[in-house]
Amino acid sequence: MGTKKPKSRHNSSGNRPRNGASRSKPNNTGARNNDLRTYSIPDYRLEHPDFTVRQRIEKDRHGAEHVHYEVEGDLNAPVPPIRDSKYLDKQQSIEIYRYMLLNRKMEVALENLYKQGKVVGGVYFGLGQEACSCASAYALDKDDWFAPMIRNQGSLLVRGFGASVTMMQYMAKADSPTKGRDGTSHFGDIKKNNMVSPISMLGDLIPVMSGVALGARLQGRNLAVMTYIGDGGQSTGVTYEGINFAAVQNLGLVLFVESNLWAYSTPSEMQYRCKDLAERAIGYGIPGVIVDGTDACQVYDAAHEAVERAHRGEGPTLIEAKMMRMKGHAIHDAASYVPKSMFDFWKKRDPIVRFENYLVKEKKWLTPKENQDLIAEVERIIEEEREIAVNSPMPTPESAEGGVFCEDGCHEIKPKYGMPKVKKGIGGFKQTEAAVHLK
Amino acid sequence: MQLTYLEAIRQGIWEEMDRDPTVFCLGEDIGIYGGAFKVTDGFIDRFGPERVIDTPIAESAIVGAAFGASLTGMRPVVEFQFMDFIGCAFNQISNMVAKTHYLWGAPAPLVLRGPSGGYVHGGPFHSQNPEMWFVHNPGLKVICPATPYDAKGLIKAAIRDSNPCIFFEHKYLYRRIKGEVPAEDYVVPIGKANIAREGHDLSVITYAAMVHTALEAAEVLKNDGIDLEILDLRTVSPLDREAIAQTVKKTNKVIILHEHSRTGGLAGEIAAIINEEAFDDLDGPIVRIAGLDSAVPFSPPQEHHYLPKVEDVVREARRLKAY
Repeated sequence: MGTKKPKSRHNSSGNRPRNGASRSKPNNTGARNNDLRTYSIPDYRLEHPDFTVRQRIEKDRHGAEHVHYEVEGDLNAPVPPIRDSKYLDKQQSIEIYRYMLLNRKMEVALENLYKQGKVVGGVYFGLGQEACSCASAYALDKDDWFAPMIRNQGSLLVRGFGASVTMMQYMAKADSPTKGRDGTSHFGDIKKNNMVSPISMLGDLIPVMSGVALGARLQGRNLAVMTYIGDGGQSTGVTYEGINFAAVQNLGLVLFVESNLWAYSTPSEMQYRCKDLAERAIGYGIPGVIVDGTDACQVYDAAHEAVERAHRGEGPTLIEAKMMRMKGHAIHDAASYVPKSMFDFWKKRDPIVRFENYLVKEKKWLTPKENQDLIAEVERIIEEEREIAVNSPMPTPESAEGGVFCEDGCHEIKPKYGMPKVKKGIGGFKQTEAAVHLK
Repeated sequence: MQLTYLEAIRQGIWEEMDRDPTVFCLGEDIGIYGGAFKVTDGFIDRFGPERVIDTPIAESAIVGAAFGASLTGMRPVVEFQFMDFIGCAFNQISNMVAKTHYLWGAPAPLVLRGPSGGYVHGGPFHSQNPEMWFVHNPGLKVICPATPYDAKGLIKAAIRDSNPCIFFEHKYLYRRIKGEVPAEDYVVPIGKANIAREGHDLSVITYAAMVHTALEAAEVLKNDGIDLEILDLRTVSPLDREAIAQTVKKTNKVIILHEHSRTGGLAGEIAAIINEEAFDDLDGPIVRIAGLDSAVPFSPPQEHHYLPKVEDVVREARRLKAY
């Protein structure tokens, strides 16, 4: 027998300190308190908005009680600057800005299409969240995978889907990726753009994306798999299951928790009790960070570092991006339940206005003329994409049929990154009568 | 080779893992322990911990991860410790996995397998037959074998299929029945029923453990001069409509036998198929024999009362023959 130390499967397990946990420092009396452990969550924001939303009961002049939300806290704080990126250069910054413009102008076009009666169902907006959608997806490599939530329409643009694709989905057109079978961002592409389709139930994508990373790892590739969950969606049980699975299997999940303060009409105070959702990472034993979701540079830097960790095979990262959903849940919802002062506060933190100011005035990476040209180009592209979408036909009624199963060789099933290398042990097939649960 | 039902399933998965490096297993306690029923006993030593993965107790995560891996071209085989727990992953199966090919054209070649069924005093959470939850879900194939030969041939077919397959292993049969299983590679086609016993007087349409109940009843009924035909469905979704119609056309009288609860059970669907395909051939009412409309009770006398029995088939066959 040799003396070789048996190798453990994952270097993430075992006794090494996890997630920044550290032994407590000596307390004031000079004695070491071994009962107290401390953890750290990096917070990259340049401001820390501090306000609370509560339900308040008021009586009207007839004595009838009405419940509404009110906000308490400092809503007059000055707008912070954009934090300089550690990684983005001039050209990359402008490219992200361009995607953010495309994202917003596409949603304006969708709103108009809705008003013209061309959209089937509702429209969901990512207004105020464009920095988070675009800068996060921009951090992925070509081979990495992603799965958007309904508001991450900017991520789709970054990952190679033209605006007409999303528009056709909303209009239930025959040329949409689902050929009319589903709407919004509910489509996917496992061949080229490596996108998994979301479903309406929240959290289920987290284990699915972890499984994509698992499948790729079995084929010899450490990929980053990015998905998103809101402060509302993170309440689901499958969110816990999925992050925990990625953690124990050390899979390259990059999870953006988009804290946009409102889940349909419910404020985050009624979704969770902890101060910041990034703290959840401590419980999973993975790194968690907080960024300002309206600052493209902060979002990119955190995403980039998480993607790099994933590529090194170091496991999942939870990134909490704080911002506010600047429209209702969908186009029908005027969001009258949101205190107006909150809209005013976050409107001053508009991600596009701030980034534009940063690029044009602060960095001078864009002249005002170049900026105007860029905006004009984006508007022209959106108009062209709108034309394509509008001109696509509606699907035939009969096209509702078929395709339930993959049959007659409609898809070839083969490993995307190469045949897994298999190790064969010595064990043989067992014919046993072992003790079992219930005979 | 004579194998038990359980060994046949084990051998089927083993051979597929040997043959195809994209096949891997994940589930609770399937690694070093070899699974609660030891179906994957010895797998981790042979195929390694990368391909035989012990997971957290989190069925939604297990199914979700299997689906994600299948999108990269892998063929995951998920074990549920008991099929009763498949409900914990219901949303993932029904809304994610089952709809994926229809909605956005992504195949999901995965197998969800595990023990189901009663007669072992497992109580309400270890005895269920939840196949109907999935029969009513377009996009899934639902397989319920009755014999070692079929169990091996169907698990191999399920692993090779391009679609999500749910594979119910009847735990009462695991070690109780043995049968001849050929040494050479074979598959049993999904969606094809099998005549388990040829007969002329009336047909029993059934599957899984109930095939053996019907076979026992046939021996009793032989003494009455009643010759039962037994159709073993093998796959409950998609159903073999042609085989159902054929046996009805042959015997003109039919009993549908299943272990799960009567209301909303498979018998209702089969009765409707007979109505559509062979109404004019019926010489008597379609008879249903099924479990009670309750949870499966724990105590042996209660469980015995809940579940269909040989005497139920004998009684109903005599009544129908005389009709």
